[in-house]
Amino acid sequence: MVRKYVALLRMKYIEMLAYRLATIVWMTGAITQPLITMAVWMNIDPSQSDAFFFYFMAVIFVERMTSAWDVWELDREIREGTFSNYIIRQLHPIHWAIAENVVYKLLFLVILVPIWAVAALFAPALRFDISGGQLLLFLAAVLLGAALRFLLSYTCGLLGFWVTKVAAIYGVLEVISLFLSGRIAPLEMLPPFLQQWSIFLPFRYMIGFPIDIINKAANGDGIMKGFVIALIWAAVFIIVLQFVWKAGLKKNQAVGG
Amino acid sequence: MGKYWRMFREFFRACLVEELEYRSEFLGNLISSFFGIGIAILTMNIFFYQTDRLGGWSYADVLVLLGVFNTLKGLIDFALRPNMPRLLEHVRRGTLDYILTKPVDSMFYVSFRHLVFWRLIDVALGLGLVVYGLAEKRYFPSFVDIVVFFITMAAALVLIYSLWMMLMTTSFWVIRIDDLSFIFDSFFETARFPIGMYRGWVRVVLTYVLPAAVITNMPALSLLGKWNISTALIVGCLAVVFLWLARRFWRFALRSYTSASS
Amino acid sequence: MIEVKHLHKSFRVHVRKAGWLDAVRHLWKREYRVVEAVKDVSFTIEKGEIVGFLGPNGAGKTTTMKMLAGLLHPTSGEIKVGEYVPFEQRAEFKKMMSLVMGQKSQLIWDIPPMETFLVNKAIYDIDDRAFRRTLDELVELLELEPLLTKPTRSLSLGQRMRCELAAALLHRPAILFLDEPTIGLDVHTQEKVRRFIADYNREHQTTILLTSHYMGDVTALCDRIMIINYGQLIYDGELAVLTEKLAPYKRLEVQFAEVPNVRWEDYGEVAEIEDGNVVLRVMREKVAEVSAHFLQHFRVHDINIQDPPMEEVITRAFQEEVPHGS
Repeated sequence: MVRKYVALLRMKYIEMLAYRLATIVWMTGAITQPLITMAVWMNIDPSQSDAFFFYFMAVIFVERMTSAWDVWELDREIREGTFSNYIIRQLHPIHWAIAENVVYKLLFLVILVPIWAVAALFAPALRFDISGGQLLLFLAAVLLGAALRFLLSYTCGLLGFWVTKVAAIYGVLEVISLFLSGRIAPLEMLPPFLQQWSIFLPFRYMIGFPIDIINKAANGDGIMKGFVIALIWAAVFIIVLQFVWKAGLKKNQAVGG
Repeated sequence: MGKYWRMFREFFRACLVEELEYRSEFLGNLISSFFGIGIAILTMNIFFYQTDRLGGWSYADVLVLLGVFNTLKGLIDFALRPNMPRLLEHVRRGTLDYILTKPVDSMFYVSFRHLVFWRLIDVALGLGLVVYGLAEKRYFPSFVDIVVFFITMAAALVLIYSLWMMLMTTSFWVIRIDDLSFIFDSFFETARFPIGMYRGWVRVVLTYVLPAAVITNMPALSLLGKWNISTALIVGCLAVVFLWLARRFWRFALRSYTSASS
Repeated sequence: MIEVKHLHKSFRVHVRKAGWLDAVRHLWKREYRVVEAVKDVSFTIEKGEIVGFLGPNGAGKTTTMKMLAGLLHPTSGEIKVGEYVPFEQRAEFKKMMSLVMGQKSQLIWDIPPMETFLVNKAIYDIDDRAFRRTLDELVELLELEPLLTKPTRSLSLGQRMRCELAAALLHRPAILFLDEPTIGLDVHTQEKVRRFIADYNREHQTTILLTSHYMGDVTALCDRIMIINYGQLIYDGELAVLTEKLAPYKRLEVQFAEVPNVRWEDYGEVAEIEDGNVVLRVMREKVAEVSAHFLQHFRVHDINIQDPPMEEVITRAFQEEVPHGS
């Protein structure tokens, strides 16, 4: 398995280099929406500018680290029939997707962390002071968030065996998550009923939750609770994914790719 | 001019046939349009949950602005967006050669050949929201307001077209086009809000360099009766300048295409 | 109609290496090399001529044709088509010519060909009456009637090519550039397309420049051919002269049950002998006689007579340095 992964990672790395310009473009593209939202909040409450600045910079960072594009890839591959190339191999196709995610996110990490460090030299608002334990919790939450988003996106993508417009369905989910994940506003700025929803739905754990940890907005109790809910969601997603995968294969065998 | 209008009509007809060939359903498109505008209004409501003014604009003002934004976005999705991937196809497969051998302006052809008329629903919804916003504010625009609105709206369209065209032209060099429309979207997103909301150099950039905010703010302000003729004129000039730039860039790209490919 | 003088075209090609480190290095540095695609080509084509433009892949055929159509800018040299310089891309010039590429389609995949025709009608400013008349004529000649309303994607390659030709001819161009119009088509359809091109040329005095890999296209259509190789024009003249001179033979391939012990030189030049398979180059006037002889005297599994392949003729033309023109 390790040897396979080394090969996969190497291949994905080369592929990424081939698309280097697109990759850079793509990274910058995801930045504007949080920046605009930040401008809105700074305008609404100028006295909290520094806090909003930190919050939305963290949104950009976490959003990139947890982003998932697999639904579009799968949608395309299933529609064009190239997905069959993966099915016939003995390695589960999800490993290609995982390898791709690892490569891209390592790249994001390598680019974003130094940028943050340099920016923090000039902008005091970006400095944070937390213990090593909290940092580990933060990283764990980011990893968990990435897993959640990946699983959701991949499962949606597999629905492509049945419906033609999975990207649209996923788009709706993304929009809902915009509100509930903390991208439109820090959780405590939302109307109370939305706050409540966001605690129990998975979206907050994809972006907002890790930020709450590094922000110290969540206390020990809240963090505990958060991890438990997120892990439950991860388990649910894994079960659903396996179910959809098996049913999808059957469907694929019945009608052909 | 008449010829180009005839061609546009022909394109529209051919696309109607193509669309009906695929029987893409009316309902799905209707839902997605309503969903889009609903989400936009919801977002504004979340902001206005914490405040009653955004960049100096009241809630009703912002609704008018959002209506203008939705209208323009609908027009982009109607005429410009569908053509972006096709241009890429033409460049990659070499079928651009057919377009270049036709007695028609190639820039016109590549930007309007494919139309997705479903997106006209967005235009209608956007205009509806403009009317609703005005009603909410209880402001009835004067005749002059409306005239200035149409002028600034036309300038806005030309500006958008030029910026989009410049982006599209880069497909001669860049391989993955979907990432490119991503750039445009993120920049156009800024136009959703009152320009007064942005600070410092960001405001300067959005006003003069990438005049996103101007594109939507000007028409909305005109309808609200807060126009001033000199800015309207400046916007008009800006539109002409950008169109000229887009045209130059397209010509430049064609030159490098025709002298480099085999 | 077409006048070309000392035409040159060179490209800068960007060299790309595969590999781990090279991919990284490639981020900063790109290497180029210059390729001369067309070197000092000159010719004239009169109105109504059909000229075959031959050469192996990458010889410069398509490049030259693209320069004639105004799609490529010549590095140096002069081109005049009608009274226009193609690269200026004047609307009047575009209206008098048309281009059909066998490997690239101008029809829109998902809709019937008729829709493309109507779009072309608007583009070329064709008035209703002229459009009707031309369309009727093309529909009849190309037997398009049942195809017009079917989506393009459901047409066969041959049907599609017939529609391509119609789309290209709706505005009655005076010059038609055909780039590999019969590529990939079956023999029967190739025949049909050729007959149409010949008839259309006779009827409308359209000047046609045709590139092809297939000797058959050229022998059926062109009196005059030009051969280009490595970017240089190595022959320009009558087809008959060239074939007589360079390929006065046919390729006779015989599969014997048992290879007879005879002196092959008595029949023709030996190209190859392998197992039971013998390939001979036999003079045209002797082909019938020789094959009859084989069939009578030996047990023959299969016999096959062909024109010498294009490449062979061109190689010969190149080796023997035929003088230009006749």
